[in-house]
Amino acid sequence: MDKSSLQTKISDQRNLLDGLLKKAKSNGIDQVEIFSSYGFSQDVTLEKSDLNSCTATEENMFGIRVIEKGSQGFITTNHLPTLWDSILEARSLARSQTTPDVDLVLPEPRSLENRPSQYDSSIDSLDLSHLVKIAKEALDWRKNQYPLVSIDSGEMTISKGFKLIMSTTGVFGAELGADISASVMGMAINGDDIGSFDYDSATANDLVTFEKRWKLAFENFGDKCMGALGARTIPSFKGKILLPPDAVYSFFLGSFMGALNGTSIRKGKSKMQGKVGTKVASEKLSIWEDPTLDQFSGTTAFDREGQPTKKQPVLTNGILETYFYNTYEAKKAGRKESNGFATGGAQSLPGCGPRQLQIAPGSSNKNDFYKLNEKVLYINRISGTNDGPSGDFSGVIKGGYLIDKGEKIPIKEAQVVGNVYSALNQIEAISKEGELLGESYFVPYMLLDGFSITGIADGN
Amino acid sequence: MRDLLKECIEEESGLVELRYHHKENRSFFAEKGRIESSALRKRSGVGVRVLHNGTWGFASTSEITKASIQNAMRVAKHAAEISSSLRSEKIPSLPKANFAIGNFIGEGISDFKNKTVEEKLELVLSIQEKAQKTSSLLQSVGCGYSEIYEEKAIVTSDGADSFFSMVRPEFRVNAVANQNGKLESGNESIGVTGGWDCLFRDKNPSQISEDACKTAIDLLSSELPQGGLATVILSPSIVGLLVHEAIGHTVEADFVLAGSVANGKIGTRVGSDLVSLCDSGVSEYLPGAGGTIPVDDEGVIPEKTMIIENGILKSYLHNRETAERFQTKPTGSARAWEYSDVPLIRMRNTFLLPGNSSLEEMIAGTKDGYFLDGPKNGQADATGEFMFAVQKAYRIQNGKITSLLKGVTVSGLAFDVLQSVDMVSKEFKWDLGSGHCGKGQPAKVDAGGPYVRAKVLLGGN
Repeated sequence: MDKSSLQTKISDQRNLLDGLLKKAKSNGIDQVEIFSSYGFSQDVTLEKSDLNSCTATEENMFGIRVIEKGSQGFITTNHLPTLWDSILEARSLARSQTTPDVDLVLPEPRSLENRPSQYDSSIDSLDLSHLVKIAKEALDWRKNQYPLVSIDSGEMTISKGFKLIMSTTGVFGAELGADISASVMGMAINGDDIGSFDYDSATANDLVTFEKRWKLAFENFGDKCMGALGARTIPSFKGKILLPPDAVYSFFLGSFMGALNGTSIRKGKSKMQGKVGTKVASEKLSIWEDPTLDQFSGTTAFDREGQPTKKQPVLTNGILETYFYNTYEAKKAGRKESNGFATGGAQSLPGCGPRQLQIAPGSSNKNDFYKLNEKVLYINRISGTNDGPSGDFSGVIKGGYLIDKGEKIPIKEAQVVGNVYSALNQIEAISKEGELLGESYFVPYMLLDGFSITGIADGN
Repeated sequence: MRDLLKECIEEESGLVELRYHHKENRSFFAEKGRIESSALRKRSGVGVRVLHNGTWGFASTSEITKASIQNAMRVAKHAAEISSSLRSEKIPSLPKANFAIGNFIGEGISDFKNKTVEEKLELVLSIQEKAQKTSSLLQSVGCGYSEIYEEKAIVTSDGADSFFSMVRPEFRVNAVANQNGKLESGNESIGVTGGWDCLFRDKNPSQISEDACKTAIDLLSSELPQGGLATVILSPSIVGLLVHEAIGHTVEADFVLAGSVANGKIGTRVGSDLVSLCDSGVSEYLPGAGGTIPVDDEGVIPEKTMIIENGILKSYLHNRETAERFQTKPTGSARAWEYSDVPLIRMRNTFLLPGNSSLEEMIAGTKDGYFLDGPKNGQADATGEFMFAVQKAYRIQNGKITSLLKGVTVSGLAFDVLQSVDMVSKEFKWDLGSGHCGKGQPAKVDAGGPYVRAKVLLGGN
């Protein structure tokens, strides 16, 4: 499967779907949308610091949405020959409902901006043998550089595919994509001392870029695993926490972004309801969406509904600028059209959310965070829970360490408790440096104050 | 289907495993007085695994024809050939297992097939509308029903030959209460393997909804507990989370080989005498456990595996490959979520065996502690350090429940917590059948047991 054959496949499928949409209209089914997602992937998986298996999979999924008189039915299928039957089945689901809403309609077509292609043809020269070589290198790195680290699992993947959306209202969008990626998960073991689990990953559109990123990611993984050995319990305290980019997003800003979802806003399940134009966070914090960046994995010209995406502000100096809307939520909010934030794919109805957020770097040097003249708890990862409506979160600190007078002490069996909305105003400093999470979201390091840390009091 | 699969492998000399899988997932959700979503997801295909040159090759196809399946077999074999040189520990031939042969039709399938879409829509809409009217404090109530219907056929070149089907319905209510801008949520859900009679055997839909709404409203006036080591009584659902997250994952043999805390501990004490723990493909004690499977995804009949007996670690959970490695028999624990997924070692229904105490005695015998109920999520680590989140923490003072506190995260080291177990109740309940367990791919599991008293670290102020 190469770029040329994928382009032919898109062209063939466009003709096929166009015929089905015409047939639907001639049968009185006026609102049909088909989202097609095709993927071809080759994987080598690792387990127990050894090769596990080698796989090749290919699948085309179709998400079919039929709206009739304000009611909607949705079918996902991977069976191309029976797509017409699935359209009829989706209509039947729509017809069985008794709660129509006039705002539930398919969007009209809008012009899409050009985006840099995320399919680098050089990836077509790669195959399973390259993945085996990459896997072998990773196993050698482990053996030579990190002999105490055990790889629980790992995966090296070449993925190629396309997404295509068409509807009876005339919406059309198609994009190809391909990347090479790898991930690793494991822990360090030194006799009875088993360190906390950790992971890292890398993705790129070409082999050369991938190899650079993967080496760094693997070393980062190895260093984090080794750094978790010799962990000690700590007493409870209240004070500062230092979050690296992954922890910033996965447990803090990610929840905040969830609160900006147009559906939660409409249903009154978000504390951010009615807050656009007001200050909801520290003025140090600015966030924007940017789906235009070349070599970023979330770059795309259209959203789940085929509506245009664009660079746009979300939060500027702590002031909330927008919510995330798909077409339905935009109409419920009194807007004419969505702002390009419909999420999902062939296996889900359009949701609302961001796809490539960029968080503004701050003015601090991250190394200075490690030299503060007071206790700071570095939280590598949080294994925990958060509650969307209240914003409360709590969890066990994983791979963390206490920074005390320049000393880094690995810790274990400690928990952190907080609230996302309070935390937005507890930001003391943001670093200049950051990381690209999933080669998509730019996120810096953040220092926050006023957190409750629960540990085992004797500190042994 | 079994005939087609057998035809595909009749000329194969090596080990080939073919797994046909058809899955239908229906879901209906109502909120704010209307149906928010009505969806059907259908996915079918055949996963092909070959053991060749001492390693695995895997491929899949969504085209269910002899030509396409045999092509996938060639791709899988090629994949194994390419990667074989990298594998240091080659897999020898796999041990014979207690293979399933024949057709196995699950409970409740006719019930599932006889219920119309309209009945399911009416269920979620009527419960949602009724709940929303019960209190002005309720900002929003969402009600969802879903069901997964599956058919699988598994044929291997060394003897497995089965077809089986099952249905897993699930019902859930989430409520959000609002008082002067303070938002709190309450969630209740139930999931089983079987029909609606099984799904609603303990509580009817209205009772489930009332409980979710009450939790959301009650939490409006709750505060965080004091953090620190605490004596806790865990409800069966929380016991389920504990045994699943804290113990179950560490005894999955692939995890053991990677160096989990259970490695090398067979035959040693890992819990108090009161602790006996099993994992079973069958729904023990009560029908309908959500992780019930008649056959695993290697074609093996699942066994009831005694993991811990009176505090002593007895067994890990195995697939065919790890059973060979440990020179034991497969436990029937290999499971795959979709046809395109490689089977992994997974739990099924994990449970602590009941003891002799009663819940009343346990509360009365606790001077200072908490009663924890309402599972949220949970995770565990190779170290055995686990966390799980609970919705509600009831304060126990001088043998009586005194107040409701906001649920938080509970954590501890698995085997330390099991050693601290000092009371186990007679009551038994499966209570973790909704939702999924994640390990690279989802799996439907269940867990439960009696009420248990132990010591854990409670996050808080």
